Amino acid sequence: MSFIAMVLKMSEGLGRTCAIFFLTLLFSLPLGMCIALLRMSKNRVIAGVTRFVISVLRGTPLMLQLLAVTYGPYYLFGFNVSRNKLIPVVIAFAINYAAYFAEIYRGGIESISKGQYEAAEVLGYTRLQTFMRIILPQVMKRIMPSVTNEVVTLVKDTSMAFTVSYQEMFTIGKQIANSQTSFLPFVVAGVFYFVFNAIVDYVMGRIEKRLDYYD
Amino acid sequence: MNGNKNAPIFALNNIRKSFADVPVLEDISLSVEQGNVVSIIGPSGSGKSTLLRCGTFLETADGGDILYDGEYAMKDGVYVDKAALRKFRSRFGLVFQNFKLFPHYSVLKNIAEPPMLQGVSREEAEDRAMGLLRKMGLEGREKAYPSQLSGGQQQRVAIARALAMNPEILFFDEPTSALDPELTGEVLKVIRQLADEHMTMVVVTHEMPFAKAVSNRVIFMAGGVIVEQGDPISVFENPQEERTRQFLRVFEH
Ligand SMILES: Nc1ncnc2c1ncn2[C@@H]1O[C@H](COP(=O)(O)OP(=O)(O)OP(=O)(O)O)[C@@H](O)[C@H]1O
Ligand SMILES: [Mg+2]
Repeated sequence: MSFIAMVLKMSEGLGRTCAIFFLTLLFSLPLGMCIALLRMSKNRVIAGVTRFVISVLRGTPLMLQLLAVTYGPYYLFGFNVSRNKLIPVVIAFAINYAAYFAEIYRGGIESISKGQYEAAEVLGYTRLQTFMRIILPQVMKRIMPSVTNEVVTLVKDTSMAFTVSYQEMFTIGKQIANSQTSFLPFVVAGVFYFVFNAIVDYVMGRIEKRLDYYD
Repeated sequence: MNGNKNAPIFALNNIRKSFADVPVLEDISLSVEQGNVVSIIGPSGSGKSTLLRCGTFLETADGGDILYDGEYAMKDGVYVDKAALRKFRSRFGLVFQNFKLFPHYSVLKNIAEPPMLQGVSREEAEDRAMGLLRKMGLEGREKAYPSQLSGGQQQRVAIARALAMNPEILFFDEPTSALDPELTGEVLKVIRQLADEHMTMVVVTHEMPFAKAVSNRVIFMAGGVIVEQGDPISVFENPQEERTRQFLRVFEH
């Protein structure tokens, strides 16, 4: 197989890599906020259970979670493994990343002083208005660097989908590497991830700059 | 308003408040008449902030009555429901020691957004905000962010923000304590100007000459109780209680 053919073949998987990446962000960013709010619930049971779930999601390998979501239903209920593996892959990624985002959100929300809530309360803001208008925008700015870190990690983590043989770019590369006994596909994969992350860095930098209109 | 015409704008009857079984306010009663300025003085930890926080519902009092315009916000330790309490909030403004402006909002938005959320049109809210900025000596700073202003300017924005809600009474909790000495004057001047316009105000302060000059009544608190109150001349020049004399001695130089 020529080098060009190899690169083209791997590029075909890039669309799937991007699908994992964008769909994971789309679902995990809001889901993380829900988890963060449950984690900060005044109800001890809800907060405790959420805390446990977060620690399981962060404390076990993403690879295991991918296997569990993809094949678990078959072993547990005898469901067929869905033919489109994108669905279980995105579910596993979204839940896993939501747990990380939840902890970032929580740190950000807890870093806002009580005084901001009190000022808003005295000025007649409802609890929802206070959260959406006063707290959340300040949280977003503070957590941007940590969010960027996670997003960069996500780009690289998409390669984990090879554990369930989802035909994204890295899985294809690995198959070529095996059949051709060549290391070259891994180099190509490395270049792909590097370029992907350069774009991510640029975009996140732009967003951070936009949020930097106040001190 | 169905409030009594002769009722004080704000009144507390027998307010009690404890933190973890430690009493911080014991049997506090006071009333503030329309157009009056009441200063609250007293040593650190005497419960002055807690008193303002109970009056503005930031802290839940354990017992007593809270009245605005003769209407009960709390009666015998029982608050009115949440919706009614929200209505009471529109009657007062509170200025904090450390301003508590919204850092991600411009000065104009800090002042104009709260009334807009209560249904005032943007145009009217912004007009009112610009007028208040002029009054506070902050013309031309409407586009600035709070972090770009000095402490004294920030506190004047905070006063404008409170006034924009058209409160019937304004509470101040040590409005100049977080400021460098050279900046306290500009804030006190603004409060004095409001007093001249007969704005009803309750001011917790350590600025004794200011309290003496501006107040209709001075309340001296210590250990969670009102030790003495009266017109400024009698409290400052002829205090009846030994505890008051002892406290005022510290400020004599
Ligand atoms: N949230 C709280 N939890 C526990 N104790 C509190 C709380 N708020 C205030 N206290 C205590 O209540 C007492 C009165 O506090 P408060 O802040 O009302 O005093 P202050 O007169 O405003 O003092 P300062 O002049 O220092 O501002 C203090 O002993 C303080 O430690
Ligand atoms: Mg205080």
